[in-house]
This record gives sequence, structure tokens and C-alpha cells, in this order.
Amino acid sequence: MNEIAQTTMAAQHGDVSFIGLFLQAHFVVKLVMIGLLASSVWTWAIIVDKTLLYTRTKRQMSRFETVFWSGQSLEELYKTLSNRANHSMAALFVAAMREWKRSHEGARPALHSLQQRIDRVMDVTIQRESERLESQLLVLATVGAAAPFIGLFGTVWGIMTAFQAIAQSENTSLAVVAPGIAEALFATAIGLVAAIPAVIAYNKLQTDAGKLASRMEGFADEFSAILSRQIDERM
Amino acid sequence: MRAGLIASLTGHVAICIWALVGLPAVEGFETKPVESLPVDLVPIGEFTQLNKGEKTAELKEKPSESTSKETKNTKAEPDKAPGESKVELPTPPTPRPTNQAVKAPEPTAAPPPAPTPPEPTPPKPEPPKPAETPPPPTPAPEKPKVAEAKPVEEAPKAEPFEPVKVTPKSKPTPPKPVKPTQTAQAQPTKEQDFNPNQISALLNKVDPSGGGSAANKESASLGSKNGNNNVKMTVSELDALRGQISRCWNPPSGAVGAEDLKVRLQFNLNETGEVQGMPKILNSSGNPSFRAASDSAIRAVMRCAPYSLPVDKYDAWKEVIINFDPREMLGG
Repeated sequence: MNEIAQTTMAAQHGDVSFIGLFLQAHFVVKLVMIGLLASSVWTWAIIVDKTLLYTRTKRQMSRFETVFWSGQSLEELYKTLSNRANHSMAALFVAAMREWKRSHEGARPALHSLQQRIDRVMDVTIQRESERLESQLLVLATVGAAAPFIGLFGTVWGIMTAFQAIAQSENTSLAVVAPGIAEALFATAIGLVAAIPAVIAYNKLQTDAGKLASRMEGFADEFSAILSRQIDERM
Repeated sequence: MRAGLIASLTGHVAICIWALVGLPAVEGFETKPVESLPVDLVPIGEFTQLNKGEKTAELKEKPSESTSKETKNTKAEPDKAPGESKVELPTPPTPRPTNQAVKAPEPTAAPPPAPTPPEPTPPKPEPPKPAETPPPPTPAPEKPKVAEAKPVEEAPKAEPFEPVKVTPKSKPTPPKPVKPTQTAQAQPTKEQDFNPNQISALLNKVDPSGGGSAANKESASLGSKNGNNNVKMTVSELDALRGQISRCWNPPSGAVGAEDLKVRLQFNLNETGEVQGMPKILNSSGNPSFRAASDSAIRAVMRCAPYSLPVDKYDAWKEVIINFDPREMLGG
């Protein structure tokens, strides 16, 4: 009877395909694997999402800049942009123009510290925009750092149970040892599969976001210079 | 965000399906039973023990068949020719004339090398039956001439003498006959059951051996002279002795021509491992430092004196010859 149990166990252990490895794994290891798989899915979702967002933002910026420097009247541009949701540069422009307009609404335009107010408004907008660009990048960083350890935990756990099984079967031949260890190592493999793209993508997206933010800052400085000249002319 | 999530999910599912379907299934591991190699543990003594042989003989692949295996089986085939029997038998005592009366008194007459009894040397047996009428106790030392010849029964040639059976029943005899001649004659007079045969048996403690050869007709192979197979001094034990000595040896360092300073020492050990007598130097050399070298070797032997060696192999290390080679000692 013991023999039968051993042979069935051996047959079960002989399956080293991915699904077989997963199904044989201990409950904790299964949880680890599922968690790592989910984090991988989430990582890739973020990667895809951010890549799309950044390309879209870049395209929008380029289009806005061409329009802005085309010599079109700023008043007209403001009118077309102000009644729709804007992002990045357009949002910067709209925020600065809105402040400008408000300052000229009264009988006596409040020009004295208009310059500072516009700068501040644009700073806040840049901050908000870059926050939007960089959101969820931290998830990538976390996954990149933690996934290998989580996978390692699954491996250690799996090897522990494998050794217990070996101790019970009192047989140390490779056929008995190998499947348990393969199954345990599978957890580390999934952890690495999740972590490596996360780390690479985090670095790439972080740089991209930084580039976009600095581009917005550059525009803000230029626009602020233009407005400052206008203010001084009117004072 | 939804677009990214959907894209990511589809990608993962696609990869998983590809992994399940596309990758070739891994075969289960099969372990073949490992054949175990039989290993015998053999004491080294089987290879290093010495067989009986000659030290000068040529080294042969296979030693001549051991000759002294079954010495105790003395009676095995006593009537075979000594050269032909497989085992070595102690050569049966040469039958000799039982002119026992001669015994000790006349040593000159005693040696009976002539195995042909028909002619007893003595002239005429004067006392025909010494058993009943022992010769008068005349204490003259010359007496033996008279009493000596007693060819009572001629021992037949074929009958092998059996020394075991002749233990004398009368107790006073044993030491006496060996003793000086004068007392010897007095003996028979007192003993009622004087039996010349028995006395002669007492005298013949050592069986004279005929010219029997060892059982093996092959020429002797390389080996020790006494070739006692029961004593197995293995190479490792000899090395142990060598090691014990070399610990105490201060080889002459700095001497010119150290290769000439090989000293060959022979010395005797007693059973407690003490050196008996002075070690003997067996070689010589023209090197002026040889004296110092041999002295140092002797000193080493004496200094380490009680050697611990297996007592049951005392025969093997009773007499030891050891080479003291400064080159080996100094790692040259």
C-alpha cells in the first residue's frame, strides 16, 4: 500500500509542465504565484497606460507649441481652449491666461504683483500635471523591488515542503527531489518575470516624465516672460 | 487605464496559453538504478608477508609454494619419500640401533650416525639381560665399556620412532641421564624396571633428522630465511618501527658527501622491545664523517629503546636490520 502511495506520488511529481507545477504547489506557494502573476498583470497595465499617456502628451505638446508660436492671437487661442478640459501645456496656458484676465476685470487692473501670481499659478499647474504623469510609477518601483523577494519566499516555502516530502518518503534519489525543487523555483521565476519589466519600465517612464515636466517648465518660463513684458508695457 | 489593463491581461493570458500549448511537455525524470561495486577490504599483510625463501634468490612473479603450512600434520604420510610429500613433515628420526646401555657414559660411543644396526659396535654383550640382572654397581667410570653394548632388540629400520610416547614412567630418570657420566651407571642398579629403551628416549630429546628435504622441489624464492608464515610483519609495521627510530635520530647534518653516510645497523630486540647488546654496523665507508653518522644511528637506536611492536610477531623483529640514510631523512 505504501508502495502504491509512493508510485502515485512519483507519477504526480513527474509532471513538470507549468500548469502541473502550479497545481502541485503548496497552498502558500500558490498564493505567492497568483499574487506575482497579478502584480505582473498590473505592472504591464501601468506600462501600457503610461506609454500611451506619454506619447499622447508629447503629441499634444508639439501641436500646442506649433499653434502657440504660429503668431495667432493669444486671446483667440484662450477662447478656443478655455471651454474644454486641457492637459499639460494647454492647461498651463489656460491657467496663466485666466489669471491675467481676472486681473484686468476690475476698473483698475491689479498689475502690481500680477507677475508673481501668474508664476505661482503656472507652478501649481506644472506640479499637478507632472503628478498626473508620474502617478502609479511607484507601483512599478515597488513591484520591481519586492517581486523577487516574494518569489524567493515562495521558493523557500516550496523547498521546505519538498524536503518534508523527501523525509517522509525516505528516498533521496533525484527523481524524488527534483520536482519539488522545480516547483519551488517556479515561484522565483514568476517573481523575476514580474520584476524585471517593472524595473526597466520604471526607469524609462521616470525619465520620460522628467523630460515632459522640464519641457513644461521651459514653456512656463517663456510664457511668463511674454506676459511680464506685456505687464511692464501697461504699467 | 482600462486600455492598459485590458492589453496587459490579454498579453498575459496569451503568454500563458502559449506556455501551456506551445512549449514541449517536459518528460518526467527517470533515475536508473546505480550499480553497486563490491569492495573487499584486504589486510595489507597478505601482500607484504614474506614467504620462505632465500634472500638471494631471484624475485619471481609467484612465490614457490609455501612449504611450512601444515607442519603439525606430521603423521600425514610418513611412508612417502620426504621429497615427494606435499607438506613438510618433520623428518622422522633416523632409526638407529638401540644399544641403549651405552647412553651417556661414553659420549664417544653415543653418536650413532650409522643407521645400520646389524653390526653393533661393542664387542660382546657381557650381561645378556640387563633388565633382570643389571650390571654390578661398580662405580668405575670405565665401566661403560662393559655394560655398554646391549643390542637387546635391534630396532627395525622402518619403524619410525615416536618420541611422544616414550615419556618415562619412572620419575627419577628424566634429568639424570643427561648428567655426568659417573652417576649414570648407578642408576640402573636401583631401578627395578630399568628399561634401556626409555632412557634412550629421554636422551633423544631432539630427534635427529635425516637428510629430508623440504617438500617443495622448486628452488627457493625470495623471502626470509626462517620463513615462518604465521609471523606476518607487514610493511606498515616495519614502517612503524622505522618511524619510532627516526624520531630519535639526529642525522649528521652538514657532512660532506652525505650519500656515503648510509649506515646499516643490525641489532637484536627482546620481547619487551628493548635493545639487546650493541647494534652492529654492517657496512663501512671511506667518508671521514661515517664514524659520526654511525654513532648517531646507534645513539638513535639506543635512545628510543623500548619499541612498541606486536608481541605476537616477535619472531619477525627479534633481529632487525635498518638502513639509516641521511638523504631520506633530510628529504633529499
